[in-house]
Amino acid sequence: MTTDFADGRMRLTVLGGYLGSGKTTWLRHQLHVGSFGSVHVIVNEAAETGVDDVLLAAASGLTLLAGGCSCCTGRQDLIDALRGLCDQRSRLASDSQRLKRIVLETSGLADPAAIVAAIQGDPVLVNHIVVEQTIVVVDALHGLAQLQTEPLGRRQIGAADRLILSKGDAVDDANLIALRATLRALNPGALQTGAVLGVYKPLPDLALDAQSHALPVLTDEDTRGAIFPTRLTIDASIDWSTFALWLSALLHARGNDLVRVKGVLPTPAGRLLLQTVRKVVQSPEILPPQANQTEDGTIVFLGRGFRPEDLQKSLHRFAGVRCVDDARSVPLDPIRGRI
Amino acid sequence: MCNACGNPAVPGHWTEAGAATPGDRLRARFHRAGLLDKVLRPYGLTAHDGGVVPGIQLSTLSGNQSILPDLSAVWAEAERLLGRPVDPLDPVFLNDD
Repeated sequence: MTTDFADGRMRLTVLGGYLGSGKTTWLRHQLHVGSFGSVHVIVNEAAETGVDDVLLAAASGLTLLAGGCSCCTGRQDLIDALRGLCDQRSRLASDSQRLKRIVLETSGLADPAAIVAAIQGDPVLVNHIVVEQTIVVVDALHGLAQLQTEPLGRRQIGAADRLILSKGDAVDDANLIALRATLRALNPGALQTGAVLGVYKPLPDLALDAQSHALPVLTDEDTRGAIFPTRLTIDASIDWSTFALWLSALLHARGNDLVRVKGVLPTPAGRLLLQTVRKVVQSPEILPPQANQTEDGTIVFLGRGFRPEDLQKSLHRFAGVRCVDDARSVPLDPIRGRI
Repeated sequence: MCNACGNPAVPGHWTEAGAATPGDRLRARFHRAGLLDKVLRPYGLTAHDGGVVPGIQLSTLSGNQSILPDLSAVWAEAERLLGRPVDPLDPVFLNDD
């Protein structure tokens, strides 16, 4: 019995979308309901600390490519990982259960078109892998702001075969229709569907004459420079309350520059997964304990308009305020002890 | 919504997520209010959360007072009162002295 596609090649789905648009949330739900069947997932993160791999445990195989965006600096790593998968598969007899599908979740800073071009231009991969479709997740809440200022956001839309509008529950229908019309103007061929936390949600109808937003002409990336990842280690002297106080102030003041914050923090309530997109913070999720918790306490900030070393300084300054007196304070985390 | 993916998560503001038991929650509340007060004092604002009134009480030195449900509302109100946001990356918070 053959289980492969007729041409014997694997199907690759490229899942792209801007920072915090909801790629992992969508993919996680699709894996849970089994939309892709048995699938190997490759997750790429621009930062050196991976978080998404924890959430995608439902995949039958998972490769994490951290510390380099696979459309540029991490391209060779991606090619190597894909070649490794092809190699593994070729060692199995063609009538056995072999890997049929791969989903590549790109980093939020990647241009999916560059990745597709890299895969199709590789002499080995082209014989093993067919790029089936490029899915791009668009944040219905922040999508328009991104399209207005980020050339990358527009390139991502342009690369899509299918657009998934996430967070549709946070926006009213009029705005959703205007966003749909804008997306249609940027990429008329792409199919648009809606999703809320990965679950399908119908979109409001898009009339042929729906008015799209006028987008300014962008020649280059933002003048404040490219978005870069910064890692911040939250040591034992900082408890959750202090960190939340600091981060809430930071997001309020700098939310538009701080495009994405994510990481896992140990708290008395458990391992807390923290994720923000601009000024919106997703309700933190308690993660199950894991054998490898070495990355806990490392938070990744993706943004621009600040010096990386200032984050640590500012956080300690905020935390240090209370060291002056405050003998009444009770340690919040009994395991990590008193501050 | 699909709760297999962990959604919907617990209710409440995200800054209050780190405490699971009522005791922890109350402790965290007092602790947070103390910290917040010290951060805001140099700006001429005071913050108080006694655990009785549900919310954080923000006052100006002239006695103008508002009760705010969570930290996001506190920063927004502070910005309204000060005319600029309290920015943790402000040089005030970055100098070593």
